[in-house]
Amino acid sequence: MKYFKLPDLGEGLPEAEIVTWHVQCGDTVKTDQLMVSVETAKAIVEIPSPQNGIIQTLFGAEGDIIHTGEPLVEFAGEEQLDTGTVVGEVKTQQHTTVSDDHFIIGSGAGATSAYKRCTPAVRALARRLDIDLELVKSSGEHGLITFEDVEHAQNLRESKGEQIKLRGVRRSMAKNMAKAQEQVVQVTIYDDADLHNWADDNDPTMRLIRAIATACTLEPFLNAWYDGKVMALRPLKTIDLGIAVDTDNGLFVPVLRNIGNRHSNDLRKGLDQLRTDVKNRTIPPSELINPSITLSNYGTIAGRYASPIVMPPTVCIVGAGAIREEVVVAKHKPTVHKIMPLSLSFDHRPITGGEAARFLKRLIDDLESAQ
Amino acid sequence: MPSNAPLELTMIEAVNLAMAHEMRLDKNVVILGEDVGINGGVFRATDGLQSEFGIRRVMDTPLAESLIAGISVGMASQGLKPIAEIQFMGFVFAAMEHIVCHAARLRNRTRGRLTCPMVLRAPYGGGIHAPEHHSESTEALFAHIPGLRVVIPSSPLRAYGLLLGAIRDPDPVIFLEPKRIYRATKQTVRDNGEALPLDICFTLREGSDITLVSWGAMIPETLSAADKLSESGIHAEVIDIATIKPLDIDTILTSIKKTGRCVIIHEAARSGGVGAEISAQIAERALLHLHAPIKRITGYDTVMPYYRNEHHYLPNTEDIFLAATDCYNYK
Repeated sequence: MKYFKLPDLGEGLPEAEIVTWHVQCGDTVKTDQLMVSVETAKAIVEIPSPQNGIIQTLFGAEGDIIHTGEPLVEFAGEEQLDTGTVVGEVKTQQHTTVSDDHFIIGSGAGATSAYKRCTPAVRALARRLDIDLELVKSSGEHGLITFEDVEHAQNLRESKGEQIKLRGVRRSMAKNMAKAQEQVVQVTIYDDADLHNWADDNDPTMRLIRAIATACTLEPFLNAWYDGKVMALRPLKTIDLGIAVDTDNGLFVPVLRNIGNRHSNDLRKGLDQLRTDVKNRTIPPSELINPSITLSNYGTIAGRYASPIVMPPTVCIVGAGAIREEVVVAKHKPTVHKIMPLSLSFDHRPITGGEAARFLKRLIDDLESAQ
Repeated sequence: MPSNAPLELTMIEAVNLAMAHEMRLDKNVVILGEDVGINGGVFRATDGLQSEFGIRRVMDTPLAESLIAGISVGMASQGLKPIAEIQFMGFVFAAMEHIVCHAARLRNRTRGRLTCPMVLRAPYGGGIHAPEHHSESTEALFAHIPGLRVVIPSSPLRAYGLLLGAIRDPDPVIFLEPKRIYRATKQTVRDNGEALPLDICFTLREGSDITLVSWGAMIPETLSAADKLSESGIHAEVIDIATIKPLDIDTILTSIKKTGRCVIIHEAARSGGVGAEISAQIAERALLHLHAPIKRITGYDTVMPYYRNEHHYLPNTEDIFLAATDCYNYK
């Protein structure tokens, strides 16, 4: 291999930023030796060398964005000398550092217009006013940005303040939420679990994980992927729970695998590891994909009921609100119990209201048991 | 014999391979020119061809370019597929009358009854320390003439595929070979008979920051510049025009809509060069996508200097790198 190109680092991650080069030009590297650390929208990924060889060129400096399929390094190859001259001298090997073995007939794939259209004068105005044209709403024909549009953007900034462009994880969240809104026919049902029977040392998160596993086993259609295009539901063999984690960088949903068949200590360890990895941005992309069902435990911050968003292709999400003490009627008398509010959103295309309500019932039954 | 075995070839060897391939395949393909037979060509492009195909198919001609072109037009109109070699592009002017007034017009003049399937090969460009008349890049003269196709390869692999395409084309093709890189690098070429299309550019590097457009011997310089740019964080898209007439403007426009910036590099003199045509078409059709004025890096509007000074005339990697950096940083 002459060129090593940025490999696909996981679903939906078309680019990565070079964080640190661990090799230099001229270095001899071995297979699997660490070459470069890159940061994707989700994590830091270490990329090893695919082969033994000598590094001839590094493509990109630290801080550069590299797209999947673009060359990362060039390995030195054997060059052959050639002779032969006629009138004058036809030199050989003028360009030993440049390789030209690969070319595309016509344009490369995915070449789309990256910029907003506007006349050079409007572009100059935007530059003078330090207005980012990418954020300007256009009113002209075919999306053309006019003088008025730039001036309007300037006025808005003066009177209302700066706009912040979404990046990285927050940007993916925005895309995913819009996609969910567009595809899913969502219904949310609300209920409470009475935690009166709990011992003091019960861990709400672990109890929720177990209750979801139990409910999924009894109502397997809720632990499924739905493909709306072909209208097919795939009930899944394992329960892989996506857990929404709030960070300063945005919303992450790491996936706790196979929660139906793991001991609670093991799950707790797994969950702590995922949380640490998310916090340090070292979580591998493979740990952020393909949940079968999702839990949003927003109650750890605040909030009673919500309508959490179902992320396709999954068909439901459980939201757990803040546990509170409430006056309830037990044995015909008012008394104070701990109550956990629950919100279950489901995709009403493949799932019936009955199935969802039964799932919620199983969830509550498990949560209300003593152990 | 043709085979799919990988061969490590220079551009001149790839040119030879393509001609030999097509001569074996099509008995109507003939070669004529000065020293192309016994001698094997001034740059050895036709080396070994006369001994394989005989003097009736590989013909040494007198020192008379007008005759070479005139005979070629006659042959082409009567069913042969001549490949004429002009030793250096600087000698082509004696042949212009036949090329411009007859080869380019035969199809139109006969309302499509006759075509002129000839290839006129000529080494062109500077950089080899040759004497006067041996270093010019006058491709724009041909690109201006309706009815001619003008093709310029920039690597052994593309020389092989493009020359096959040129020989098979039913109309006259001016095939200009950048002699400075005749032997500059070797590339793996397979004698598989696969022609490259003559109406589309090649994207040699994909990048999103700036589009570098070039052809011929400026391609290796441009690729070096692109590599250097990438070291400073600028990702250049490099487009090899390859067929300068007719021009595949769509590939260029697609790239510019992505990058918003363009530098055109050619070795030929600046005024009225092919770069001016490309620049005009970009301005006409993609002005509103541009983030910076188009830049041209070209030779000068002077006679090509004698060889001691030719390196001052020829654009190089550094020139391209600086222009592209400027264009990228345009405020």
